[in-house]
Amino acid sequence: MCLLATLRWELGASAATNLPPCCRKPLTVAPFTDQSLFQLDSTWTSDVGREVKLGVFQGRAQVVGLFFTQCEYACPIIVHDMQRLQAALPESIRDRVDFLLISFDTERDTPAALAAYRQTHQLGADHWTLLRGPADDVRELAALLGINYQKDARGQFAHSNVITILNANGEVIRQQVGLNTEPQESVKALVQALAAVPAPPPVVARP
Amino acid sequence: MNPKPHHPVARTTTPRLLWGWLGVWLWVGCLGAGATPTNSIPAGKILVPAGVYRPLFRGPDELKEVPVNAFILDAAPVTQGEFLEFVRAIPRWQRSQVKRLFADSSYLAQWAGDTELGPDAAALAAQPVVNVSWFAAKAFAAWRGQRLPTTAEWELAAGTGFSRLEGITEPEYRRSLARWYGSPTPAVLPAAKSGVPNLHGLYNLHGLVWEWTSDFNSALITGDARGDTGIERSLFCGAGSLGASDRSNYPAFMRFGLRSSLKAAYTVHNLGFRCAQDLPAPKLAENSPQP
Repeated sequence: MCLLATLRWELGASAATNLPPCCRKPLTVAPFTDQSLFQLDSTWTSDVGREVKLGVFQGRAQVVGLFFTQCEYACPIIVHDMQRLQAALPESIRDRVDFLLISFDTERDTPAALAAYRQTHQLGADHWTLLRGPADDVRELAALLGINYQKDARGQFAHSNVITILNANGEVIRQQVGLNTEPQESVKALVQALAAVPAPPPVVARP
Repeated sequence: MNPKPHHPVARTTTPRLLWGWLGVWLWVGCLGAGATPTNSIPAGKILVPAGVYRPLFRGPDELKEVPVNAFILDAAPVTQGEFLEFVRAIPRWQRSQVKRLFADSSYLAQWAGDTELGPDAAALAAQPVVNVSWFAAKAFAAWRGQRLPTTAEWELAAGTGFSRLEGITEPEYRRSLARWYGSPTPAVLPAAKSGVPNLHGLYNLHGLVWEWTSDFNSALITGDARGDTGIERSLFCGAGSLGASDRSNYPAFMRFGLRSSLKAAYTVHNLGFRCAQDLPAPKLAENSPQP
């Protein structure tokens, strides 16, 4: 079972089309766990214009950051911290970890703006997904991640600086708090989460 | 175009001034709010005229005065009985079925079962519902075709006195606030819609239970002074040089502290909610197409 799962992982990764992780076929179709963020019903739009639910990430570990493209101070550091984390991943799991950026700025961060950001910051389509969504859904996701934010008079967002790590079931396994944080602990958490064999999906699907 | 500020906390005075004026303009506008179609407000709901919310804490770039549009707020918090109807209609919000992601383990702990209030059902049904998470409150409001009020809306409504718009200038209002915020939650809660309504006709904004707001997670600093150093600074972008607008408003400090300590799945024995909604669009097109 484990072998099969690994095989499918590699197939997923090697099918390196130009589509970001959000927009490929989901790897596993196991039912969502109680604590899974992947069960959210909200619909998001990716920088390639496709509408997706977070459930598409089922089966892939995600490193999640909330940001906005016109952020002057913290977000470039958050994105940089995520890139450092990606670079620090051991070879064995590098292909099994995706990176997900979701924007606070529901007005200005159009798919085109996100696509431009991907270009500027060289966020490879092999592992990086950029999403935007309705204000209510961003508020809900932020609430789930324990991220507080507020739009200020200049249209900037003051926000918590938190990078969240989800295991392949969409459960929060670690939060990296603050800026310029060393990635070692997060790498460790990911290695552990991915080493622990994901439980095979129950045969009987829940209603 | 001005040169770009080096740092996000650089002050921009002009937009703030503009916002300030806008706020004053809206506030003055609300004084003559007789033009709003009050007769179309359904029973049990109250029109809260437009006004200005002055946040207790704010960052250097945050508004000192937040203009709030007129909106409709339920006269009383949602009761246990009303919430029971909701979980009967939408079983996934029943105690045994709710996902832990959306409500912690004390969700509706005061009930005898999934759809049973228990031996004191009649009394309990009239009390405000508590032990509900933000997700559950939001789902209830959506089920009703309503929404949760924003913090600005809630605070604007709650700042209204018994006889004056600016409650804080009214001795009786201040006394009643001090009485409640200074005493523990009684073991048995009084019924919702008990006590004296405020000037608008809203009950229990103070004195019964705390209430969820839609953007409770917009507070960027904790009310706890110990939390505002070191780690918290690195946790929050733009949290420098903050000051409270009115240090004497103790209840507002308490509400601020509560909101900043909550997480969306938390359920608390004295935290409930009430629903809000936008004003209905005017039926006949008038001079302006503004809704």
